[in-house]
Parts: sequence; structure tokens; C-alpha cells
Amino acid sequence: MDGILNGLLALGDPQLLILLLMATLGGVVIGALPGLNATTGAALLLPFTLTMEPIPAIAVLTAIYCSATFAGAITAILINTPGTSASATTCLDGYPMAMRGEAGRALGMAVVSSTIGGVLSVLCLMLAAPLLARAAYHFSPPEYFALTLFGLSMLATIGDGSPVRNIIAGALGVLLALVGVDNLTTVERFTFGSHELYDGIGFVPVMIGLFGISELLVQSSALDQIRERIKLNAVKLPSREDYKKVWKTILRSSGIGVFIGILPAEGATVASMIGYNEARRWSKTPEQFGKGAIEGIAGSEAANNAATGGAMVPTLALGIPGSATAAVILAGLMVHGLRPGPAMFTEQAEFAYAIFWSMLFVNLLFLAIGLYGARLFARITLVPTQILWPCVFIFSVVGAYALEQSMFDVWVALISGVLGYLMRRYGFSVVPLAIGLILGGMLEQRLGQSMVMLDEKWWLLVTRPLTLFFFVLTALALFGPTVWRIMRPESARQSDQ
Amino acid sequence: MTTQTSRQRWELLLVPLVIIAFCAAAYWLTLSFDRMPPILKRGIQPADFPQLVCATIIILTLFMMWRDPVRIAEQSGSKTVGTMVLMVVFAGLTTIDLFLALAVFAAVLAFYWGERRVGFLVLVGLIVPVLVFFLFDRVFEIRFPRGLLTNLWYG
Repeated sequence: MDGILNGLLALGDPQLLILLLMATLGGVVIGALPGLNATTGAALLLPFTLTMEPIPAIAVLTAIYCSATFAGAITAILINTPGTSASATTCLDGYPMAMRGEAGRALGMAVVSSTIGGVLSVLCLMLAAPLLARAAYHFSPPEYFALTLFGLSMLATIGDGSPVRNIIAGALGVLLALVGVDNLTTVERFTFGSHELYDGIGFVPVMIGLFGISELLVQSSALDQIRERIKLNAVKLPSREDYKKVWKTILRSSGIGVFIGILPAEGATVASMIGYNEARRWSKTPEQFGKGAIEGIAGSEAANNAATGGAMVPTLALGIPGSATAAVILAGLMVHGLRPGPAMFTEQAEFAYAIFWSMLFVNLLFLAIGLYGARLFARITLVPTQILWPCVFIFSVVGAYALEQSMFDVWVALISGVLGYLMRRYGFSVVPLAIGLILGGMLEQRLGQSMVMLDEKWWLLVTRPLTLFFFVLTALALFGPTVWRIMRPESARQSDQ
Repeated sequence: MTTQTSRQRWELLLVPLVIIAFCAAAYWLTLSFDRMPPILKRGIQPADFPQLVCATIIILTLFMMWRDPVRIAEQSGSKTVGTMVLMVVFAGLTTIDLFLALAVFAAVLAFYWGERRVGFLVLVGLIVPVLVFFLFDRVFEIRFPRGLLTNLWYG
């Protein structure tokens, strides 16, 4: 209880409130710019938070996460280009509504459903994260090893990229995490005698490269894309009829978003797709979907914003990132010397609750910003690519350099950028690589500790109920979809084709 | 057309081969890692886990070649290779001065991508780098590496 109140009191700091306002505005700008998303924004701004205290630093990153996820809807509705991948389904009905002169109504619904989804998810985060952390108190290294393995196996099911390619990318991330001096034995691995590699490959420059510089290279192939913005007069709050139509959809999608967010590695994109599909499935007028159904916007936006709070649950309670942006925030926690896990809710309860309260505050803040500032933010959707991306490059390079003030990190960012671009070119997602890099060291450490505990009898891992439970979940995540495809009746498989 | 298809086929075959070669090389490197005496090894030898990961990737890549071959998901534009070349030039220029390299890269990239308005080129190539430089120097107290131009400020 003290932690909850102290966390709220921490939010009373005027400096923190101003910082949150700026971060929310920055997040809305990032989300509204096509090509930039919450993950890229958080990765680019992570180095700027290094000189801050932990509470403002992580609060800024979560503010960017929440507000950028919402702001993707602005471009989705006005220029038919999702500002973030989580808003891809918002385009389907948002743009047709804008085309028939209802851009203000569509944006109003996006703002309100995003806020409700976001607020509900933060409330769930406040309840679920401490409970999950308390349960994790009973975990010993074998359980943590199995849990981390489960977290990695969930990479198979994330949005883009095939399951096998996602797992390969994740495993490559794990391999990169092993570069440097082994923490358990102090043996040098893959350092080639370079002292810059003794501490391993830094998360921050890799993330800047994977999410920022690789996107620059992707944008270089879309220079001839012409974007036209639909005129926006004013954002309209949903009418009573609109609320009647969508309240069930918003609640359902919020629940879906929170649940999907809590699953390791699954983020707002998957949540919005499922939220949208469920909205259509339960709708009385499913034929209107894709032609400008307001329930479509509510279903997609409530789900993607609800996933933000959900994704923070495993991130803070277990140290397993719930999404790509949560992985960047987790990297931020580590850089600030904070260890997510059960101890966070006892030893650093004030910090944890301050983050929860700040997320709640940001969700209310972007309601106001969305309603009154959307017209202004709509203008930035057409910032020319040839102006935006050179600026992003400058921030990427300086950000990579800033952490250790080392040019080596700049090279790491550049190489990661080219690697990220090549991965995307050949159908690999870069998200698993980033998550693998974060979890790799943890996975090995927990395996080593488990082997010590179990007297090097690895088969004893499956004799522990919780460990076995996580192994079963891992097997389901890896092989479930394939088994499901094989087990389905022939007629259902044919109708899919 | 035939040549292009054949080139693409090679390109797609090359991807799994590069992954396998990379992991095989990494596996080979693990063979040279120091081995710890049983009392100090803390559960696993330093080479055990990297070897397990390398072997897993190789097996998965072979499986991918069999069941889910690589495809081209993002088409390269005519400017992608040029942008990469500019990055190499940027890396070379950093040996003279990081600030200079950033300013030149940003301006040239904007021009290369089609920007012709002088005001915008000045914004991207001069104003933004200067603002970022002073933001880091004054607010975050992070110093750029010394170089031709930054020495003028640092003295």
C-alpha cells in the first residue's frame, strides 16, 4: 500500500509532469509520422534518458510507448498509412470513414477507445503485475530457465515473419548475447581480443540499428510513394448512438489486448488484429467492416492500447518483455541498473507504482491531446521522407554514441541497421533478434544455475511441476500451430486455401 | 528476365548458407574456449551453451530450407544501395570529425532522396546537427569525439 501511495506522490513532482507532457507530445509526433513507431521512438530516445533518475527515465519511455501506439491511428485514418503496424487494422475502416467526410468522428472514436483500452490495461497491470511477481517468488533457477525459454518460444508466433524464421532470428540474438566475458566463469567468448567486446554487445546501439537505421533503408525504397491527407476540421467525441454501438466492442477488445499483451513477445499489432476480427465476428453488421464501420476502429484501437499495459506485466514482474517496445524499456531498466522481477514490487515498489501511475496519467493526457490537438498533429503526417529520415539518422548515430561515448557503438548501430534491413528483405522479423539479445544472457545464466542446483542432471528439469508446465507451453508455442493444422478436418483446411 | 530469376534464386539460396556458415564458424570458435575444472565450471562449460545455440540454428535453418524457403519480402529500391554506400562514406568521414560526417551525410542523403529546396537542405545539413550537438553538449553533457570542427568548440 505504501508503494502505491509513494508511487502516486512521486508523480506529484512538477518536473516529472512536464517531462511526461513532453514525452506524450513526442510520442504522438512519433506515432503520427509514417515509418516511425513506438519501438523506434523508444530506442532513439533511450540514450536521452540516461542522465535522468530511473523514475523519469522509464516513465518517459512508457509515455512514448502509450502515446505513439495511439497516434498511429491519426495517419491510419487521414492518409491510409498506419503510423505504427498496430494501427494497420484501423486503416480498414478509418480511411473509408474519412473519405466520406467523417474523419473527425473516426478520430474521436480512436481517441476514446484508445484511452479506455489504455486505462483498463493499466488497472490490470496494477493488479496483475504484483500478483505475478508474488507467484514468481517461488521460482528457482530451473523455473526461471523454463519461463525464459517459454518467452523465447513465443517469438514463433509474433506478427511478421514465419515461425521458423522468427525462432532462427531469436536464436541469433541469443548467440549475440553470448559475446563477451562469461559472467559465470570469466572466460572470454567471441571477443577476438577486442576490449570493446569484453562487456558484450550493447542492447542500445543494436536496438537503434535494428529499429531506426534499418527502417531508414526500408524507407529508401518507398521514396516514390505519394501520400495525400484528407482534410480534418475537428475531432468529434462519439455520440450516444456511437457509444451504444461500440461499448461492448471496446470492453471485449480491451480484454483481448490485455491478455495478448501479457503473453511474452506478443504486442499491440497482434492484439489489434484479433480485436478487429472479434469486433467483426460479434457485430450485427459485419458486412459494413472495411467500408467504414465505427466498431472496426473501436475494436482495433482499444485492443492495441490495452496491449501496452498488458505487455508491461511480464516485463516488470518477470523480466520477460511483453512486446518489442517493452524489450526496449527492459533494456532501459537494465541500463539504469534496475532488475525487473519479484523484488521490484518489494524493494522498489515506489518505482514500480510510479511507472503505473505515470502510464495512467499519460493515457488521460493523450485523450486531451488527441481531442484538441489532432488537427495540429495531422499536419506532421506529411513531413517529407527526405527531410525526416536524415534527421532520424542523426539522432540514431548520436544516440548510439551517447551511452558509452564510444564510436564502437556507432559501428554496432550501423552494422545492426544493415543486418536488420537484410533480415527484413528476406522475410525475417528484427523483433526476435532484439528480444533474443536481451534474454540470451539470462537464459544461459539460469541454465547454469539450474545445472548446479540439480547436480548436472538435466533430466531432473522435467520432474519439477512448474518447469514441466512451462516446457509444455513452450512445446505448444513451437509446435501447436503445426499440429493444429494437421489435426483440422480436411474441409476446414481446404476452405483456408 | 531469366538472368534476374536465376540471380534471385542464388540470392535466396545464399541466405541460409550464410546463416549456416556463420553458425559453423561460431561453433568452430567455441572449440577454442577455455575449459574450466569441474569445481569452477558452475554447471556448464563456457562453450556448452553457445554450441547448443549454434547447433539449434543450423538445424532450424536446414528445416527452413526444406519447409519454408526464404523469400524476398522487401523489394530494394534504386536508392537503397546508394544509401548504404553513403553510410560507408559517413563511416570514413567520422575519422575526420563526427559532427562534419553527420552534417554532410544528412544533407547529401536529403539531396540524394530528391530534396532540392535549399532551405530544407540547410535545415537538415546544418541546423539539426548543430541543435543536436548543443543539446548533447549543454543539456546532457555528452561530448562528441574530438575532430576537425568539434575542436573549434572544445578548444
